[in-house]
Amino acid sequence: MILFDDVSKFYGEVLGVNRVNLSIPPGITSLVGPNGSGKTTLMNLMTGLLQPSRGRIEVTGISTSDPERLFRTMGYCTQFDSYPKGFTGYQFVYSFLRLFGRSHAECEKQAWNSIDRVNLREAASRKIAGYSKGMRQRIKLAQSIAHDPKVLVLDEPLNGLDPLVRSETIALFREFAAEGRHVILSSHVLHEVDIISDQVILLSGGYVIAEGQIRGVRGEIEDHPMQVMIRCRPGKVLAARLFEHDYVVEVKVHADGGGLMVKTKNADSFYLLLNRLAIEGVPIESVQPADDDVNSVYEYLIGNEEAAR
Amino acid sequence: MNRMWFRQLWAVFRLEIKKSFFSRRGLWIYVLALMPVLIFIGHAYVARRDAARRGNVVSEGVTREQLHSIKRGMLKEQVLAKLPNPYNQRSIETRGGLREFLQYSSMEEDLTVRFLDGKVVGLQYRGECSLEKDQIIFGTVYQIFFLRLAVFFGCVFVFLNLFRGELLDKSLHYYFLAPVRREIVVFGKYLAGLVATSVIFSGSAALQILVLYMHFPKAMLDEYLATGHGWQHAFAYTGVAALACVGYGSVFLLAGMIMRNPLIPAVSILLWESINSILPAALRKISVIYYLKSMCPVEILSNQDVPPVLALLAVNVEPATPLVAIGGLFAVALGIVAIAAYYSRRMEINYSSD
Repeated sequence: MILFDDVSKFYGEVLGVNRVNLSIPPGITSLVGPNGSGKTTLMNLMTGLLQPSRGRIEVTGISTSDPERLFRTMGYCTQFDSYPKGFTGYQFVYSFLRLFGRSHAECEKQAWNSIDRVNLREAASRKIAGYSKGMRQRIKLAQSIAHDPKVLVLDEPLNGLDPLVRSETIALFREFAAEGRHVILSSHVLHEVDIISDQVILLSGGYVIAEGQIRGVRGEIEDHPMQVMIRCRPGKVLAARLFEHDYVVEVKVHADGGGLMVKTKNADSFYLLLNRLAIEGVPIESVQPADDDVNSVYEYLIGNEEAAR
Repeated sequence: MNRMWFRQLWAVFRLEIKKSFFSRRGLWIYVLALMPVLIFIGHAYVARRDAARRGNVVSEGVTREQLHSIKRGMLKEQVLAKLPNPYNQRSIETRGGLREFLQYSSMEEDLTVRFLDGKVVGLQYRGECSLEKDQIIFGTVYQIFFLRLAVFFGCVFVFLNLFRGELLDKSLHYYFLAPVRREIVVFGKYLAGLVATSVIFSGSAALQILVLYMHFPKAMLDEYLATGHGWQHAFAYTGVAALACVGYGSVFLLAGMIMRNPLIPAVSILLWESINSILPAALRKISVIYYLKSMCPVEILSNQDVPPVLALLAVNVEPATPLVAIGGLFAVALGIVAIAAYYSRRMEINYSSD
């Protein structure tokens, strides 16, 4: 587990994050929030690049003020697009592996392994200064995974990657998560977050405003009734049956008459109702939640705040 | 220290040494280090040329005393009466009048007499080079230019950049994201800077000594090296250059970690080191130059040719004994590096504020 215990970080009088209490389990966790919401601060705190003004952070039982132990189990791919001058891709990965105190042969093997994992072998002997944005992103990723970390922290890791590499990289994250490791990433691309995340942490203005599995988070947003799309012919019959229940607050029949958009205050009761109706013979073809994705949650929780600013 | 720490220290050192030696931005350090070598090459060339000319054109029967009997205001006829055979003479008609030059040479000294409209207006003596004179010349250039400017600014660049450069390049975090104690990073960087600057500046000092004395006859040099403290001086000067890197290096390493603008510490320390001679005894010891001057083997004040302003920079009232000087410098440097190591544990990576 990664634990944040009442953590705050201030840059002078400017708030970074405030009163963060988190317990992050293994799997892919995404940090979501607008610019300046505290995502990078949270990652830098987690990796000891920043020290909390208040509170305590532990990563798999190791304090972030103990880099000697921490970084044997953790890798961090930062958002900084900067590299030591004059290095080739291989030298970059290899040299920083040497800091682990390992032998030349071991570092060489690990460096090539990680370079292979990001498909950069052919360019590895070229200077990083001549790399494209996507290649720089990949070599940075290779450097952060070279020592086979149990906790991988990635700040905007998909930035600059083309669609093919993007899907390969996502597959790599999934592979890590499937092995019971922590993968914590931040991203602005909400539909990708939705696809790859096991859980999300929503941040706004330095505060954690929601955390957990996305459907769980969605269920807790009571201000916005859950939207469910149902294919059913004839739609009007089903609509009439649904209106008998007070937790159904709105039903819109599609123009083609073969579907409904329903808004409900109680998703659990609503799904039980649909089961009952299906058993009774109402011809329900499909049921699809319409707004339990990260995008909608972001819109409901953060979009309003941003609009209010 | 366990073996792992040594391996990590070596890894940091390897990463840093290349940067310290071969940074493209740092090429001017080599120019700075080689400048006195060029000065002494020039000096050796002129000394050889003069010696060769003296061998050929010594004005007949001219003695050193006769050369010094010529005074300003004398008429040309009076000069020629005393010294009738110049080895060279020329004249130029200018707007201000007729300018004439007579050149004489004894075995030990040259004299150029300048006339304006037949009256002596200038006398320029140039003595023969001697080991004693060249030691003073070397000591002056070494203390005034080499230690105070070349080594000082070389260390400013190399050691300030160890941390400040990486903060500006946004690449320091790679060290901080490795399982290595930050104290080891600090020490490894310092060691790399120290090796690079010591090699450059001690090498330059050795080269300067070599170039300065190479125009003397071999027998004279052999005697100087064997019985005239030659080796001792050479060892002292190269050692002092390395010790300067130890001292200044530690100061600028720390300054690069805690100050955003490198000009402020560089100028402040340069000023502090410059007024060292006029500070009270207790304050004088809180400086690097105090210990360095104490270890310089030749007292440049003993020579009247050194201008008073420069002599003031070189004065060292109550110099420290070598043991105290070396011990003091190492103690100060170690203390400062320890502070830097302690500070590094609290350092945060926040490039936007740098």
